[in-house]
Amino acid sequence: MGNIWRNPLFNWGVDRAAEVVPTIPYLPPQDSWDRTKESKVKMLPVGRLRYYYKWPGHGARIWAKLRYFGTRRRLLYVRGEYNPKTLRREKTIVDKRPIWWLMGFLFLFVFPFILPTQFGGSLLAAGTIFGIYAAINLCWMLIIGTAGIYSLASYAVVGTAAFGTAWLSINFGLPWYVLPLIGSLVGLVFGMVIAIPATRLDGFYYALLTIGLNELCRVYTLQSKQFGSASGGLYGADTYIPQSWSSDSQSLLAYYAALALMLSALFLYRMVNGTRLGRILRMAPEKREAFAEATGVDFRRARITVFVISSVALGFIGGFYAAHFRGASFSIFSFDTVLLGLGMLVIGGIGRSEGAIVGTAIVVLLDKVLMSWGPWRLILIGLIMLSVVLFMSNGLFGIKKQFRAWRNKKKSERRSTRSEKGGEMLPEEATETRDKDLIYWRRYDKMQRDYLKKLVSPEIIDEHERCPLGQHSEPLERLLLYFRRAPQDDKYAIVVVDPFKAYRIVALSGVRGVAPRTVEERIYPSQEAAYHGVFMRRVQDLMES
Amino acid sequence: MSIADIGFILTNAVVLTCIYGMLAIGISITWSSVGLINLSYGFIFAAAGYGAWWASNIFPHNGAIVMIAGILVGALGGVLVCALAFIPIHDKPNFPVRGMIATLAISLIGSQALMAGFGPLSKSLPEIFGSGTIDFGDMVLTADKIGNVLTSIGFVALVVTWMRSSRRGLEIRAMMMNPHAAAIVGIGVRRTGFYVMAITGGMAGLAAVLLSQTYYISPFGGLAPMIKGVSIALCGGLGSVQGAIIAAIILGLNEAITGVVLGGQYVLITQFLLIILILLIRPRGIAGIVDRAREA
Repeated sequence: MGNIWRNPLFNWGVDRAAEVVPTIPYLPPQDSWDRTKESKVKMLPVGRLRYYYKWPGHGARIWAKLRYFGTRRRLLYVRGEYNPKTLRREKTIVDKRPIWWLMGFLFLFVFPFILPTQFGGSLLAAGTIFGIYAAINLCWMLIIGTAGIYSLASYAVVGTAAFGTAWLSINFGLPWYVLPLIGSLVGLVFGMVIAIPATRLDGFYYALLTIGLNELCRVYTLQSKQFGSASGGLYGADTYIPQSWSSDSQSLLAYYAALALMLSALFLYRMVNGTRLGRILRMAPEKREAFAEATGVDFRRARITVFVISSVALGFIGGFYAAHFRGASFSIFSFDTVLLGLGMLVIGGIGRSEGAIVGTAIVVLLDKVLMSWGPWRLILIGLIMLSVVLFMSNGLFGIKKQFRAWRNKKKSERRSTRSEKGGEMLPEEATETRDKDLIYWRRYDKMQRDYLKKLVSPEIIDEHERCPLGQHSEPLERLLLYFRRAPQDDKYAIVVVDPFKAYRIVALSGVRGVAPRTVEERIYPSQEAAYHGVFMRRVQDLMES
Repeated sequence: MSIADIGFILTNAVVLTCIYGMLAIGISITWSSVGLINLSYGFIFAAAGYGAWWASNIFPHNGAIVMIAGILVGALGGVLVCALAFIPIHDKPNFPVRGMIATLAISLIGSQALMAGFGPLSKSLPEIFGSGTIDFGDMVLTADKIGNVLTSIGFVALVVTWMRSSRRGLEIRAMMMNPHAAAIVGIGVRRTGFYVMAITGGMAGLAAVLLSQTYYISPFGGLAPMIKGVSIALCGGLGSVQGAIIAAIILGLNEAITGVVLGGQYVLITQFLLIILILLIRPRGIAGIVDRAREA
């Protein structure tokens, strides 16, 4: 605190003007302005807005015109807009999922040709199994996700159809192309039979019942001679794979056939889930059935329809299974198969076709590629399944939604902690205030007070005591300007009790006709002492605010 | 078919009914109090069997220790399942589905771990109840059958009495009636969950010890008893002890009659037809209430 201020009026012989006055160093008011303006909100380490890449140029109209034949669905939802700053034309791909699907399909199509040669065979076989299981899981996803029926008997339907068609093919010599059709019939019958309890039971009662049905199928086929209880399965059905081909060509054909099966299952999924049936069911999710029913939606009928359609498809897949593997083994009925299947659905996320496919890919890859691990690979799959269930609300494809919900929660938590007192209004108060200028005035006032508080020092007070009126040093001048600019109500004033002998400090009421109130009993001997008394009171009020 | 054969089948049916009934009561209590479908019951069953087998290797001639070891390992398994599948997610969205899948995952991990630890060969327990017999005219009752029936009924009676007369039992019953109201009046949901799972796990453990007097212990041996138990619990109405007892008797009779009239391989078929029939008439099982039995 060693600074001096030179009074410019000294040379003009102004009364009581000292040449040099000790004062405080210069404090720039900009600092407190900057400190007030800087954001004290804790920023999240993650982005707060959705990011879309902006493609340059026109062309949104062309994308809007490209539709799937016979429907009004666009190939890709592209939005065209002008950049508000640069006024350049740009495009946004709002829904990128079709691109991901296309890339996935392309990968699956070229998959056999990009395999490393040393384990090409086992990976291709795994790819074939992936195709079949993905088809089964898509149909199962229709039952669990779209229809909301917790059936665990999907593999039982597939297995029954596979065993039935294999038995027919062996005993009556049916050709392979009939097997899926007959399988669909088996699936239809089986589906209708197990749909009967589904009309009355809900949720878990049905899940438990279908576990039992699965076990029934397993035990029955295991015990009966005509289903090959001795040989571990029923083998010898007709197959679509020509036996004269080389084994590489055979596995390639099998892979593409399984892929075609998966694609048709996807088509079915789209046709059921994306059309009227699926929309009806999306309106009647669990626990909101009563509302759907009240609006006239016959959700029970829709559920059973979806269930039966999926059962027919599962039966078709069963017939394909028999024609593919030349028969069927008991393992399709085992509890572990159901468990792994459910694991595939859960890991991917229930209610989404991409969830079924990606979940299947993960589990099949772990199951078939890590074959040498023995039971440990199943333990690994179980651990993945457990952690997905414990930490994610709806599988891998539910992460996005879950993350956004979590981020919004955090954002609102932060927002609710952001309230500064002392001059600035609380958010609730600010919305209630009619005069919005007041919000900014208070903000500015607080900032100014914060700055002025730092100016108050013994040097300034001494300077004022020496000479209350006239030219002052820069910090004192700032303080006095602030004090003088205060509004009239409760502003201090000086009352002459006895001229040149006694003065007293009062506070104005600010209302016409209402007398000022006495602030203190103290009598000041001179006008200048009273001025300084008022200054000290104001400084005290400032420091207390 | 002589009277002795029918008597043999009937006594077998009674023994199995008692054991499966105990499993069913365990599943039933778990569902109605903590709202969890415990599909890892089969794993708890198998683990308890292995625990009892391990105890029988250390104390070969002490039946009581073997039995207690089975019960304790079962209870431990129940606590483990509770800690993994109930405590972390019981207040999260989609709890029933996620809980069921979590128990399935535990079952997958656990059975494979048992397989990796003990190998696929099945183990057998020593005879706990000795090898004496009692003759009733043509019927011969062996000691293990009598022991099985008496022990299982005794244990269930003990559990039911405890639930009726103790403070903790009162808490569990309050949870079974209305979990939200129970939480509001100050009953700890998590703590009660541990009690329930420990008790039902202990039931599975005892059932494993008793059933291994007839069958063997294997890593996947718990699946069939669990499915029997689930079917009985379903048929009797989830959450009702009386219903489970009635359903166990009905299904046991069905098993005995089908075995005699049609042959053993049709038992499961008639059983499921019977269950479907019962559920079509009473969708919540024999003793279940048609309205929502358990909210949330």
